[in-house]
Amino acid sequence: MPHVLPLTMMPEGKEGKVVSINAGQGLKRRLVEMGFCEGSLVTVHRSERGALVVVVNGIKYALGKGLATKIMVSDC
Amino acid sequence: MANTNKMIFAMVAGILYVVFGILKMLEGFGIETGLAESLLIPGDFFGGFCFVVIGAVFLYAVKELSAGVHMGVSYVYVGILMSLVFMAVYLLVMGADLLMFYAVKSEDYEGWRIIDSMRPGIYLGLLSLIGYFYWKDRFTTEMTKV
Amino acid sequence: MEKKKITIALAGNPNVGKTTLFNAITGARQHVGNWPGVTVEKKTGKRTYKDTEIEVVDLPGTYSLTAYSLDEVVARDYVVEEIPDVVVQIVDATNLERNLYLTTQLMELGSKVVIALNMWDLAESRGDKIDTRKMEDFLEIPVVKTVANRAEGIDALLEEVVREVDKGEHHEHEVSYGDDIEKKIIELEGIVGKDSALSGKYPVRWLSVKLLDGDENILEKIEGSSVATQVNSVLSTIKKDDYEAAMAEKRYETINTVLPQICVKCVNEVTFSDMIDRAVTNKYLGIPIFLAMMWAAFEVTFTVATPLMEFVDMFFGWLAGVVAQSITNPVLGSLLGDGIIAGVGSVMIFLPNILLLFLMISLLEDSGYMARAAFVMDKLMYKIGLNGGSFIPLLMGFGCNVPAIMATRTIEDEKERLVTILVNPFISCGARLPVYLMLAGAFFGRNAGTVIFGIYILGIIVAILSAKLIRGTVVKGKPSPFIMELPPYRLPTLKASAIHMWEKGSIYLKKAGTIILAGVVFVWLLSAIPAPGVDAAFASEEILGTEDSLIGVLGHIIEPLVAPLGFDWKVAVALVFGFIAKEIVIGSMGVLYGTGEDEDALAEILTAGAMTPLTALGLMVFTLLYVPCIACVGVVKKETGSWKWTLFMMVYGTALAWIAAFLIYRIGTAIGWGL
Repeated sequence: MPHVLPLTMMPEGKEGKVVSINAGQGLKRRLVEMGFCEGSLVTVHRSERGALVVVVNGIKYALGKGLATKIMVSDC
Repeated sequence: MANTNKMIFAMVAGILYVVFGILKMLEGFGIETGLAESLLIPGDFFGGFCFVVIGAVFLYAVKELSAGVHMGVSYVYVGILMSLVFMAVYLLVMGADLLMFYAVKSEDYEGWRIIDSMRPGIYLGLLSLIGYFYWKDRFTTEMTKV
Repeated sequence: MEKKKITIALAGNPNVGKTTLFNAITGARQHVGNWPGVTVEKKTGKRTYKDTEIEVVDLPGTYSLTAYSLDEVVARDYVVEEIPDVVVQIVDATNLERNLYLTTQLMELGSKVVIALNMWDLAESRGDKIDTRKMEDFLEIPVVKTVANRAEGIDALLEEVVREVDKGEHHEHEVSYGDDIEKKIIELEGIVGKDSALSGKYPVRWLSVKLLDGDENILEKIEGSSVATQVNSVLSTIKKDDYEAAMAEKRYETINTVLPQICVKCVNEVTFSDMIDRAVTNKYLGIPIFLAMMWAAFEVTFTVATPLMEFVDMFFGWLAGVVAQSITNPVLGSLLGDGIIAGVGSVMIFLPNILLLFLMISLLEDSGYMARAAFVMDKLMYKIGLNGGSFIPLLMGFGCNVPAIMATRTIEDEKERLVTILVNPFISCGARLPVYLMLAGAFFGRNAGTVIFGIYILGIIVAILSAKLIRGTVVKGKPSPFIMELPPYRLPTLKASAIHMWEKGSIYLKKAGTIILAGVVFVWLLSAIPAPGVDAAFASEEILGTEDSLIGVLGHIIEPLVAPLGFDWKVAVALVFGFIAKEIVIGSMGVLYGTGEDEDALAEILTAGAMTPLTALGLMVFTLLYVPCIACVGVVKKETGSWKWTLFMMVYGTALAWIAAFLIYRIGTAIGWGL
């Protein structure tokens, strides 16, 4: 059974599928533009600092924890 | 296995950089270690700190590799890159000294010899240079493509 | 028995070991020539395997067959027109996703393909598990593991090639592009199929796909055919750019659905960038690595600049000599010598420093490291109410605050941007360095470096505390969400970084040529005009820069303001003119103490009693913190769009500077230090 959890809870090195983004319109649109759409695959590279390093569509992003908690993913 | 080579390399480089870094820091505090002259170590607290950082990066590689984490090689590569950066820095400083001696003919540089600008950063860097060329493929192919 | 003759072509991405494999197959029996009509090298070789004579053609290394480059056209034309019996694609096992893209295109061409899975040992040692059996099933292509540089798997590969030739029947495996695109493909197939010259030579589906792909080379071929007008009328109904992107996406989609099933871990391809990131974003090592890189940048900036500064110094010394000799008019001579050359010269001498610092910042930016520095510092920035995005503009402030403040435009949150702008002037810019260098050099001798470093640290601390203070009081709010792309690392080229250095550094030069020049002329004028009631000629020796000049009068008026800090009227005047540009503090002190651009002489006068180490330290701190230069104030006004905030910044900084210098002077005097 895949679990749905916030991106911050994903262990390093794991890949998950974006299920939902619980952010306001503006922020959500911005995330979608950067490739965080529902269904896209996200790999967590680093999550032990204040921010995360994630890869979406082959592009690497530094992502603040606050933002990362708003992105729900299912692990697969 | 290639990783054993890398682990030994990282171990040697890590210990060397940490030891030299500590010596530099001690000399920077004005504590005579007695090794300054023979090893050409200048007293330089911050420079010594940087060496300790480079050494720590190498030793972290040893820690991860010995735990069987294959990605530990990352630290070897970064250690090599950093020590090469510092080698370049000290070579530039040497170049500046050369200019001061030959072109500016500064009074402060009377009796200056090239060996006076020889620093651990340069001769320890040679070790990393060997490592760089030994694992060259990883550096050149990956840095130029994308 | 008659030997069978077959031809095989070697295809593959660059750097996958294609040439090594070619050598391993053919040994010494090679022929190097050119492809007809072009200068691309063509290598062919022969090999006899069992009872088959194999002619091997090495195709140019390509990422795809879209005909963007000559290499691709050559490779494609060969595969399409010469029709080798088998195309052997060398696939880099450590980079399956990108390599399989070429595979899909070869499949579309309808060629018989055999995959040589090269460097699989590397992939395996990296922890990837590739299931070649499944790979064969999905792709319907034979897959053979090889290690070209050890000549492993060559015979197995040739065995498979010979078997594939004998097999006769042949699967056409197609990428499915989805309903919309497929409809267009079928439509085009119908049209292109009518031209027998075309359809006899090329696979019809492939032609149609390439047409939708916007392939110039194929369009040209169609142009001369009987169906040109029909094809063009179909193509004119679609948006080409959309199709191109959508089709590439579909190919990757096909690969990505297959990939996880044939390879464990291959999906998360580990690049060299990932490896570097692993180390530089490490929980414990990230910040120390960042500090070490900064130290390296500063070491180069300060040490390497020394001889260059000597050259600039020599040049202005020579210029002053020429002027002194050739100009007899005392007023003009004084204006040029004491005013312009002394003033501009004392500023230009720091040009090497500033350019080198910008060069270092550019190198760090171009390599991609700067974005990581922002990531590493995010936690700290968060604590002061900002986020990692504010970090780069602050760091740039070490060069010059003007471009640094303009760089805050990348910060989306308005409040955060405002705070980043307001505290930016506390980050000690290159223009303030001359002041520290002169004063610290004169008063602190061997410890000058440490003192200057301390001043920089103080600037950072003040910026941090101020940000926290402002964020907690007047500009309240939580840090905004932080997201920033981390581009792949690349080796910075000196040329590109030099250009970036010039973009930032030329602002400084322009300033030296305009504002600073005007400033020093103004200072000279004031110091040359006799004070009211003083009976002396304009610009005469005895009044120049003394209390008998207009500047002396001005100085005495404002002296009480800075007297509690231990500064005399000359320093007061120098600080006022520092508002034009901070470098002028030193230049105008040169004029006021009558030493011109000779810094050693100025240092001598200062240490001889004009100042104490304590007041020198106070002056350095004051210079660091007080109102930034006019250019900086201008850009703050422009970027914040508010006089209120601009004034706030000016008053806040100056008040802070006064208090800090006051404390240094009073406490220092009280404990008897530096007298």
